Amino acid sequence: MEEKYGGDVRAGPGGGGGGLGPVDVPSARLTKYIVLLCFTKFLKAVGLFESYDLLKAVHIVQFIFILKLGTAFFMVLFQKPFSSGKTITKHQWIKIFKHAVAGCIISLLWFFGLTLCGPLRTLLLFEHSDIVVISLLSVLFTSSGGGPAKTRGAAFFIIAVICLLLFDNDDLMAKMAEHPEGHHDSALTHMLYTAIAFLGVADHKGGVLLLVLALCCKVGFHTASRKLSIDVGGAKRLQALSHLVSVLLLCPWVIVLSVTTESKVESWFSLIMPFATVIFLVMILDFYVDSICSVKMEVSKCARYGSFPIFISALLFGNFWTHPITDQLRAMNKAAHQESTEHVLSGGVVVSAIFFILSANILSSPSKRGQKGTLIGYSPEGTPLYNFMGDAFQHSSQSIPRFIKESLKQILEESDSRQIFYFLCLNLLFTFVELFYGVLTNSLGLISDGFHMLFDCSALVMGLFAALMSRWKATRIFSYGYGRIEILSGFINGLFLIVIAFFVFMESVARLIDPPELDTHMLTPVSVGGLIVNLIGICAFSHAHSHAHGASQGSCHSSDHSHSHHMHGHSDHGHGHSHGPAGGGMNANMRGVFLHVLADTLGSIGVIVSTILIEQFGWFIADPLCSLFIAILISLSVVPLIKDACQVLLLRLPPEYEKELHIALEKIQKIEGLISYRDPHFWRHSASIVAGTIHIQVTSDVLEQRIVQQVTGILKDAGVNNLTIQVEKEAYFQHMSGLSTGFHDVLAMTKQMESMKYCKDGTYIM
Amino acid sequence: MGTIHLFRKPQRSFFGKLLREFRLVAADRRSWKILLFGVINLVCTGFLLMWCSSTNSIALTAYTYLTIFDLFSLMTCLISYWVTMRKPSPVYSFGFERLEVLAVFASTVLAQLGALFILKESAERFLEQPEIHTGRLLVGTFVALSFNLFTMLSIRNKPFAYVSEAASTSWLQEHVADLSRSLCGIIPGLSSIFLPRMNPFVLIDLAGAFALCITYMLIEINNYFAVDTASAIAIALMTFGTMYPMSVYSGKVLLQTTPPHVIGQLDKLIREVSTLDGVLEVRNEHFWTLGFGSLAGSVHVRIRRDANEQMVLAHVTNRLYTLVSTLTVQIFKDDWIRPALLSGPVAANVLNFSDHHIIPMPLLKGTDDLNPVTSTPAKPSSPPPEFSFDTPGKNVNPVILLNTQTRPYGFGLNHGHTPYSSMLNQGLGVPGIGATQGLRTGFTNIPSRYGTNNRIGQPRP
Repeated sequence: MEEKYGGDVRAGPGGGGGGLGPVDVPSARLTKYIVLLCFTKFLKAVGLFESYDLLKAVHIVQFIFILKLGTAFFMVLFQKPFSSGKTITKHQWIKIFKHAVAGCIISLLWFFGLTLCGPLRTLLLFEHSDIVVISLLSVLFTSSGGGPAKTRGAAFFIIAVICLLLFDNDDLMAKMAEHPEGHHDSALTHMLYTAIAFLGVADHKGGVLLLVLALCCKVGFHTASRKLSIDVGGAKRLQALSHLVSVLLLCPWVIVLSVTTESKVESWFSLIMPFATVIFLVMILDFYVDSICSVKMEVSKCARYGSFPIFISALLFGNFWTHPITDQLRAMNKAAHQESTEHVLSGGVVVSAIFFILSANILSSPSKRGQKGTLIGYSPEGTPLYNFMGDAFQHSSQSIPRFIKESLKQILEESDSRQIFYFLCLNLLFTFVELFYGVLTNSLGLISDGFHMLFDCSALVMGLFAALMSRWKATRIFSYGYGRIEILSGFINGLFLIVIAFFVFMESVARLIDPPELDTHMLTPVSVGGLIVNLIGICAFSHAHSHAHGASQGSCHSSDHSHSHHMHGHSDHGHGHSHGPAGGGMNANMRGVFLHVLADTLGSIGVIVSTILIEQFGWFIADPLCSLFIAILISLSVVPLIKDACQVLLLRLPPEYEKELHIALEKIQKIEGLISYRDPHFWRHSASIVAGTIHIQVTSDVLEQRIVQQVTGILKDAGVNNLTIQVEKEAYFQHMSGLSTGFHDVLAMTKQMESMKYCKDGTYIM
Repeated sequence: MGTIHLFRKPQRSFFGKLLREFRLVAADRRSWKILLFGVINLVCTGFLLMWCSSTNSIALTAYTYLTIFDLFSLMTCLISYWVTMRKPSPVYSFGFERLEVLAVFASTVLAQLGALFILKESAERFLEQPEIHTGRLLVGTFVALSFNLFTMLSIRNKPFAYVSEAASTSWLQEHVADLSRSLCGIIPGLSSIFLPRMNPFVLIDLAGAFALCITYMLIEINNYFAVDTASAIAIALMTFGTMYPMSVYSGKVLLQTTPPHVIGQLDKLIREVSTLDGVLEVRNEHFWTLGFGSLAGSVHVRIRRDANEQMVLAHVTNRLYTLVSTLTVQIFKDDWIRPALLSGPVAANVLNFSDHHIIPMPLLKGTDDLNPVTSTPAKPSSPPPEFSFDTPGKNVNPVILLNTQTRPYGFGLNHGHTPYSSMLNQGLGVPGIGATQGLRTGFTNIPSRYGTNNRIGQPRP
């Protein structure tokens, strides 16, 4: 059946013998593997807790070296990578070398994160299987995430990380944050510490970020090494070789390290046992059991059963970890680690552990792709057929630089969008300079002003999108074209300004009641900068503005834009609009953007004025008064825009054409053979389209097409450029009464008011 | 607004008009309830805003904006009452149905802008977290929640109910549906409440209250003040999610777009129309929704030069009327000038012309498939695939109607159920210009049995 309909068509769950879904293996056979997996994960948690203790004494590079050495020794012994299998080419050796380097870096990050955040948090963050992370990333960065459940899982994951970042009041963290510089053992750790300190976060938060980074790296590393492992001849052989190569890699470093620095470890001999356990539990056992389980079970099931015990055991150990070896180690090396400086459990960690468990559970569950398939029809046997590959074929993926280039080209094509784009760039530049400077000087006022600018930029972005979209070609759904989007965007911008004015108003009223003391010294340069940027914008936009209008009317806008944005001065133009669709010049979108810029300018001016008043006279009341005034000014200036946009959206007779249309309708009445007209609808669809429909009754002895031509001519002269004229004779009504059941419908139909209801009564059945 | 006479500026002041319209609405008893709720809402919002500033909690502020949105929705409800009372004015020739849509759009967009503002504020708060006083936080939450739910459930808000049904599901609804599907697998009785989707407003009210409760708990327990900001962001995002589909839906209505769900039906109808006899092509189709639900549209139909315009018009209108209530059909012919110039003088006494024109025409159709009474199907349930307009019935006596000059409006009244056949021929008299028609019959949708070739060389007076 599938062959008939091509490769991407699958029979639905109803048909096709049921062999298409994943086959469920009876769970009894899997139980032993699940138990094994759980036990291994538990042991791995033990191993990690122990390695945290070891890391207190041993330098991290030495630790990794010993770990790799032990693993390589064991694996070479068991896998015999040199004696068995095909020989490895030089090319493959290079790849293995790269693999080893990447592996070293990742384990370095991992164990460094371990020293920073402690074993519990490391386990929570790092022990996610690849499938979880991959589906998390696919939810975050691709549109086809796989349904709401996956989105929820991703949200849980993010919440869990945020919980660790924000709500984890680890006592140790505060202490570790005050570690003296130069405490670090080597250049490497020092470098990492400085990197974290540069980010401006506390050490444990840096550790969290580091571990997330390491997790992503690990997943990418595993995915990338999959092909290599097939080439080399199995993942185990690759692991063995890679560990061996990394031992060789780390060897010189460790030698240099042990020569230059004196070791804190007194007797390596007593550490053999703990190292052996760590090597066995963390590296070897985990690796082998994982590979067995992934063969015997599905990967998703494996991930689900694996994540739960490791998180739970991590939580348990986090609470009860008083292994004898801790004390033994502590007694052995004299590093001053008090009991209180352990990474303890906190509420945030527990919450985030719960969220991690939930998200691992959700994200690792197999996605139900069946729900995404679109029904395309039925097979001859009657089973439904679904198309599963729709997304892949419909959305032809475009490379990002190309996409940017295309859209830039589109933006720069026309003056409106070009202006908005340039101004947006300028604004964003200013914003980021402000934000950067604010962060640098740690000034909250600057940063919040930067956020405010970003908030304002959203209006510009919308205007830009509207200007772009309005040029799209008409489609089946947007049958008149996309020009009306500009009007809608103007309306939204108007609402936006109203909201801003409202908030400014509320704020100023609150300040009027309780005037706060202001720190004015930082405000002036910022507001002057903003003023300059906005003035540039005003110049550019008002130029474009009057230019666009100049095409058709040329009289309207001079200098005072703030109040007289009304579209008056149109109706005294007689037949000035007969020159086609390009003339119309009203662009609500640009008006909205312009008003926005104007409001910003007013804001800057207000700040400057109030600053001067405060500094000169100490009138703290000036600030709220200024903002009150500005709020009123903004709302007054935006009212005409909203009113005009509303009128267009409500399909009002365009006010600027009223007179001409009136004259035109009078003329139409005088056409020879015309009895009357009804339902004259004229409305502005977009800046360039004025649409109209009219029903005309004529005597039965005139030619319809002649009437159509005459009426079209008259209405085109009046400015209507998208016209539909229905010419009706008596015969039409007779036909209609014949087509419907009774003449009541004719009556109803001619009275357009009730026509719809009569239709719905079921007389026109078809 | 309603009293605007054609092309005359209204003299009355804005507030006077507003007051008059308000009185008009207030005359209705149903609107009293809404007004009462509006007043309560204002009081409630005032208190909530006060508590917001006293607790300094932005999450509560975000939740208060939902109450303000309730106020807007009450206003929308009032507007929809007003709209039902208004007749179309000459200036607003389509009536005021769209005002309802505009009100829905404006209130959803305002809610989203408020949410955007909250996002901006909380971005600033992340930098410097102020202290939150939990004193009135829980009280405010429950006052707002109970009031919102009470309003939502006791007032039948027609426009919002329609939009929330018609718009696509918000992400919040999707998640709840996904969760409750698995829940209903355990307890099947719940499916009536949660499936297929919950009321989005109730959902967001409950979810926002839940977020606030968590905030309260965490602040009380551990003074995690950042939770307040986080839950404000969550509420703002939920507001976005809830309002966005609705504003998209109403915005598309405002943009005069064809609603996607009727495209299938419209396509079918247009295909039917284009198979009507005489129709060559259908173009410039514009169909759009006037208010919530009623379609308006205009279409241009090109017909053969010998086809009867009025007949085609009637049939096309009849077809499309089932779906499109405000319809304008423009019939046009190519090249109509040339024959019309030839027969220019004839046009004056067209009835005579039709007399001559029709009677010698042979009976083309077999009697078996021809309904003698009308060219339309006798039963609407079994429409024949094609229609022949130019085929007259058996009794081909042209009846000259006396009242040709009266307005067509009152026409049907005089005749009652006169046999349609007599009226049919009236339409046939109109320019049956078919001299060059044979050149144009290459179209497959004209059945050959109609034998249009017979008309060539018809005697023309």
